[in-house]
Amino acid sequence: MALIKKFKYRFAKLGPIILLYFLSISELDTEFSNYFEILSFNLQLIIVYYWMLKSPNILGNGHVFFAGIINDVIMGLPLGTSPISYLVVSLVASYVKNVTVNISLFTDWFTFLVALLFSNFIHMGLMINFTELNITYTDLFYNVFFTFLFYPFFWFLFNSYRVATHVGKDD
Amino acid sequence: MSSSRDDFGIAIRSALLQRGAKQKFSLFFVFCLSVLIFFLDIYPNKFMDVSRSLLNDVVYRISTISSSPLNLGSNIVRNTKKHIFIYKENKLLKSELEKLKSKEYKIEFLTTENKNLRETLDAVSDNVNISIVAKVLIDKKSLFLKSVILNKGANSKIKKGMPVVEGNYFVGRVVEVNYLSSRVLLLNDLNSRISVVIQETGAQAILTGTGSDKPSLEYLPEAYEGKEGNLVFTSGKDGMFSAGLAIGKTVIDNEQLNVKLFSDSSQLSFVSIILNSKIESNNF
Repeated sequence: MALIKKFKYRFAKLGPIILLYFLSISELDTEFSNYFEILSFNLQLIIVYYWMLKSPNILGNGHVFFAGIINDVIMGLPLGTSPISYLVVSLVASYVKNVTVNISLFTDWFTFLVALLFSNFIHMGLMINFTELNITYTDLFYNVFFTFLFYPFFWFLFNSYRVATHVGKDD
Repeated sequence: MSSSRDDFGIAIRSALLQRGAKQKFSLFFVFCLSVLIFFLDIYPNKFMDVSRSLLNDVVYRISTISSSPLNLGSNIVRNTKKHIFIYKENKLLKSELEKLKSKEYKIEFLTTENKNLRETLDAVSDNVNISIVAKVLIDKKSLFLKSVILNKGANSKIKKGMPVVEGNYFVGRVVEVNYLSSRVLLLNDLNSRISVVIQETGAQAILTGTGSDKPSLEYLPEAYEGKEGNLVFTSGKDGMFSAGLAIGKTVIDNEQLNVKLFSDSSQLSFVSIILNSKIESNNF
């Protein structure tokens, strides 16, 4: 019984990593332009920020890096652009974790906006200066906006997951 | 003031360098590694080209496997929808068939006439295309690139720049070639530019991707008055594609002449790559 419990806990701990890798490698995307022209958001950034803030040991910098590399391969972007973007979000999350004691949804949400802006600014800078890819700034803006807007929903979702599985209670 | 700056420095340094009990790499290390890989990748060199090609092939295959349950689900939904609307579709197809039958006689007559005229002029036909059929492995929507990945690569003599068609309709061109796979840039991508000719008027233009399903026509002749419903073909003037590949029909949106594509880029499953296009260089 204890063995099953241990196995369940270990599997639950892998949940966020599996989700991050699956979103990067599979055809599953969070762009819904077929249904609503401007609707798209970046779920990977939400996952990285939330789990780096709440329990950094669950995700790990190495997994964030590899998920980013896989995302670049699938999307056809220069290798390294997505990892840099994810790691900037990670850095802001680690910084916020170091300097704050009481974390509420609103502090999380506000600091996520800072992380999101930083990350997209760097991503855009790399794309404009070092690649020949054209970017639609309005699409990028809508993507940032909806990623920010949906954060509380995933915050509750991941919080419920943590409560249900007891994952990251030691962090 | 100085103390708050010190606190900020300490917090940032701690965030960058600390490793949790179960973390193998510090944030600083993986960040430097990402920057290094980025610069190695954007400046062309043989080592990175081969490494990237191998990585692409491996990741694309794993992606195909991991996406198969999702694809199965979406196929079931699509087929169910098709079955529900089958009666309505049948009725529509019957009426279209009647129209096409009447057009077929006209085409037969024109083909014979064209053949006779060519014989008279002693011209050699250059419209025979040698193509290879490829399966779409990955079709993931992205904010930056509208592209699909095919299961054929340099091993099937595919080269960068080759045109890709679905049935008789032009869908895009090959922009990345690996040994076992390749990437096709679709016509609706922001980076896509194709030289085209508009039927009836014979006007030349550049078809520019806009990110939406209706690319726009640019560099039209001065004072050109666009009309809806004109067919758009590749002109072959760019020296890359053969002329006459059907692309779509003109539509006017907000006083801008756009093209409604014949092929639906979100529904591609099998495409053909035209091998005897005018591509010279071997890109692999």
